[in-house]
Amino acid sequence: MREIIAAIFIIMGIIVFLLSMFGVFRFKYVLNRIHAAALGDTLGLGSIVVGLMILGTDFFAGAKLFLIILFFWLSGPIATHSIAKVEILTNKNYEERVRDK
Amino acid sequence: MSTGIQIILLVFLIVCALAVSFTKNLFIAVIVFMGYSSIMAVIWLLLESPDLAITEAAVGAGVDSVLFFLTLKKVHYLKGTREG
Amino acid sequence: MGEKKSVWEHLKAWVDGEEVILDADKYIVNRSKREKKNWRRNFSMEYIRGNVKLYRFLSIAISVLFIGIMLSVVNDLPEFGNPANPADNEVMERYLESGIEETGATNFVAGMILDYRAFDTFGEANVLFLAVMCVVLLLKKDQKNYSAKEEQENREDDFFDENEKRPILQIGGKLLAPLIILYGIYVILNGHLSPGGGFSGGTIIGAGLILYASAYGQKKMQTFFTFRTFTLICVGGLLTYCACKSYSFFTGANHVGFEIPKGIPGHILSAGFILPLNICVGLIVACTMYGFYALFTKGDI
Repeated sequence: MREIIAAIFIIMGIIVFLLSMFGVFRFKYVLNRIHAAALGDTLGLGSIVVGLMILGTDFFAGAKLFLIILFFWLSGPIATHSIAKVEILTNKNYEERVRDK
Repeated sequence: MSTGIQIILLVFLIVCALAVSFTKNLFIAVIVFMGYSSIMAVIWLLLESPDLAITEAAVGAGVDSVLFFLTLKKVHYLKGTREG
Repeated sequence: MGEKKSVWEHLKAWVDGEEVILDADKYIVNRSKREKKNWRRNFSMEYIRGNVKLYRFLSIAISVLFIGIMLSVVNDLPEFGNPANPADNEVMERYLESGIEETGATNFVAGMILDYRAFDTFGEANVLFLAVMCVVLLLKKDQKNYSAKEEQENREDDFFDENEKRPILQIGGKLLAPLIILYGIYVILNGHLSPGGGFSGGTIIGAGLILYASAYGQKKMQTFFTFRTFTLICVGGLLTYCACKSYSFFTGANHVGFEIPKGIPGHILSAGFILPLNICVGLIVACTMYGFYALFTKGDI
């Protein structure tokens, strides 16, 4: 039973990663693309690590995996936010480009 | 299983190395080089040397590319920066 | 120039370029012209390039000479891929069998690079130091090599740095940078027990410092990390490394005379000199990483 739940979580994470890769290649504008990439970074990696936590029996291995999730959920959105801010600060006609696409 | 993953990673490594040398845009070359370093870190981990993996991930993917970006900014290559 | 000065003042003026101690112009005028045999012209590159026959002969002769040397060396090498080669078993077996007894480190890699081959690591640390010194020479902010335009750009950058509001990045940096630096310190201190060591931990600490500097700006960084601390840490680390290792090599590489206590393998205070050497290398690498970043952004640490 535990393996089945873990497998569901891990497969869900892989599907989210596939969708985010598809989005990165499909979209044309930077802000849309970082939206897709950040989806894979947070939700995909989070569900994969939750699956691994369910699969493992050791408590301390689970705690380390939880720390990994915490680190990625802190650092990933900050990096995405920085990229978006730089794009808005440096690209002067970004409003027109958003309306076009 | 492990050798299959290693073969896939090595193929990616060669593709990244060729792409770095064949791209005309320096910005894209630096980002592909970051990907090269990340793949190399995973390969070091599979070869059972985690200390090298840590160093490769911190230097190759982190500090090195920051220095490359700063150099590109210094020589006014990036769009949107001063005179770029 | 008429007044009497002491020798020291003359020397100081000469260093500043204000006066000439040995008047070279007078010497050149008074010198009798000697008949020179121009040996250099006969063997200069232009002469050899002009003479086609000599050029061909020399190129073929040098190539044949080098091919002969290389082939004679390759002839003496052991057969490639032979499992009985000395490099394939003797050194590795020695390290694996008596590594723990001789170095006291459970991490064989640390025992190898910081005990058996410590001079090699010393050279690597020196290479890093030389690299950052070259960057300091080229990029450090100086009134002689800075034009007014660059000064203006730097002032604009400073204004942007101080007045830009980036609360998300600052909170993230405040939360993450101490954890990253703590992890780096853990990797350095456990260098002789688990995978890791000076280079890995130093790069992690450098990455944490770079994150903090990019979040809070250079000015906040300079409250605790100036150029003076940078040079002190780098030079102090190198000198400590040199003193430790020259002691152990001076006493015959076996620590004859005064045995450094090895401790129990697996404890944190063990393995002789490996722990302090790891700390030295880690400090040098961390300072180098942050120094590169600061010099590339602002031209000042």
